[in-house]
Amino acid sequence: MPAKYHIHVRSVPPRFSPLAKNTIIDWAEGCLRCARCVKEQCPVDAYRKRGFDRSQFVDTIDQLCRDCYRCVQGCPRELIFKASNPQYSRIGNEYWTPEILAATWYQAESGKIPVSGAGYGGPFSGPGFDSFWTDMSEIVRPTRDGIHGREYISTSVDVGRKPMFLTFDSDGELTWPSPPLLELPLPILLAAPSLGANPGNIQDIITHAALELGTLAIVARERLTAIPKKTASLVMPSYTAGSLDLNDPLLAQVRIMEVLDHPGVLEQMEMVKKRYPDLIISVKVPADGGVVDRVAELTAAGAEAVHVYASEEARGLGESQGMHLKDLIRRCHLKLVENKLRDTVTLLVSGGIALAEHVAKAIICGADAIIADLPLLLALECRLCRQCTKGGKCPVEIDTLTVRRGAQRMVNLVGAWNNQLLEIMGAMGMREVRRLRGEVGRAMFIEDLEKEIFAPLFANREGELTKREPT
Amino acid sequence: MSMEVVVFACQQAVPEPEAVKSLWRGGEVRLRVLPEPCSSKIEAFQLLRTLATPVDLVWVISCEEHICRYDEGSHRAGGRMAYTKKYLAEIGLEPARVGRSVLTPGDKSALAAIVAEISGRVQALGSSPLRQAPKAAARRSAK
Repeated sequence: MPAKYHIHVRSVPPRFSPLAKNTIIDWAEGCLRCARCVKEQCPVDAYRKRGFDRSQFVDTIDQLCRDCYRCVQGCPRELIFKASNPQYSRIGNEYWTPEILAATWYQAESGKIPVSGAGYGGPFSGPGFDSFWTDMSEIVRPTRDGIHGREYISTSVDVGRKPMFLTFDSDGELTWPSPPLLELPLPILLAAPSLGANPGNIQDIITHAALELGTLAIVARERLTAIPKKTASLVMPSYTAGSLDLNDPLLAQVRIMEVLDHPGVLEQMEMVKKRYPDLIISVKVPADGGVVDRVAELTAAGAEAVHVYASEEARGLGESQGMHLKDLIRRCHLKLVENKLRDTVTLLVSGGIALAEHVAKAIICGADAIIADLPLLLALECRLCRQCTKGGKCPVEIDTLTVRRGAQRMVNLVGAWNNQLLEIMGAMGMREVRRLRGEVGRAMFIEDLEKEIFAPLFANREGELTKREPT
Repeated sequence: MSMEVVVFACQQAVPEPEAVKSLWRGGEVRLRVLPEPCSSKIEAFQLLRTLATPVDLVWVISCEEHICRYDEGSHRAGGRMAYTKKYLAEIGLEPARVGRSVLTPGDKSALAAIVAEISGRVQALGSSPLRQAPKAAARRSAK
């Protein structure tokens, strides 16, 4: 049995105090000077340990506080309050919520799965990835107890083209050489995000993290200079339509490359394959209105891997803006199944993959693996203020981050995601991530539930009053 | 050396901190606006440490006392500001390096006047004397 894949996480404290969700308002004026002040009884000793963060001009008590409300309830003069922190609620945007940012920072710091306490007060379902659930019916089976490892759960995926059948000659030898195939230990590839201060440094950090994880780092070709030999096997240079040069020495070093889709991409692929037969070529296709047909066309023409990219908010591009990435993946997957080509091609997806559950859900919808980009930047303490895109100064100084420190934070994040993937698969009774692909039978979609379960129970005939309405 | 102003703004008085930035005409002077749940969140030590960072001017924008969500928050912020000014005078620093304004939420002209006042004040005061001894200030601030 091969060695068990394990991600070595190590605590990397943040350089800048993460913004706290709640903040303490402490009115010291009017204090009765009680013999035993509630501040002295703080279980985490926050009032004694509090300091001042010079870079952000904030009182560090909010990072120390664990929201137990003991001081708030205990002060006889009611001089201590807790309030929502407006600085926290303003970070990110509607999709990349402050909660997602805070959870990503926590995972990047500790490598641990974020646990948010007892109970769930959120909505029953939501849009996009929140509109379906994974079937956790096997959660009580101890033999498939995810990360505790009683039974090994494989997260390996293959990238490349797989032949649908084999043919042998009279000597029992294969009549054609088997196509190149790359096995990755986890279904997560790393890619440089489109923003971030000092992109060159971020790219180095991502490459270093990919090396540590054994996965691929997708990097724009123009940003790559000379790469060390040990790194070359895990770098996936990304070319735009016009930038691909067959004499590029990098093509002889790497095992896989990516090229942006364009009308002449098939001819270009053929030329590259002639010269570099062992090189795997992935075609990057925008998730626009024609993505389903284009993925099918490329696959039929022999593409080894297709990378479908959506917007940062997991929405389609162009005329598909109204569609969520999960639906686009599903359509591409089903089209390939219909054409009996699904197993020949590797389907990679990116855009809006923000949480560990999105990895599992994207795979359930039909992707082979996902490409993480923006979460990698969040792992470096990014607050999505986008100052870097306007030429402003990065408030968390990502440009000065060391490669080693940044890479370990990315490794921690991917480690936490991988553990959550194992937990999900363990609870689903799955032992291999390859088998999770397109396995919608192990997921519950809200639209199906509404139709099949809730409608017969609660729907009323037209004109009929519901039970709750007054008669 | 470029100057810097930090504004702590009550979120009720200034619901959109970006509005302060858009009104800013301070030229090279860097402005940072930090939204707070209430101006009484800012304690005297925070004002002093911010000033010691060093920052050239620290300003607090509160809402009017009779509309404060915390009833006494704005009033207490005023008291703290008076204490901080007195303390600065005692240690030989300019009390004018900290300031406070009261604003009715939604009063755009008053907000513009406040921003102009902040800008005028920092230009009149010039660079903080603490910038001359940044190491000593940093040591004090780190304590």
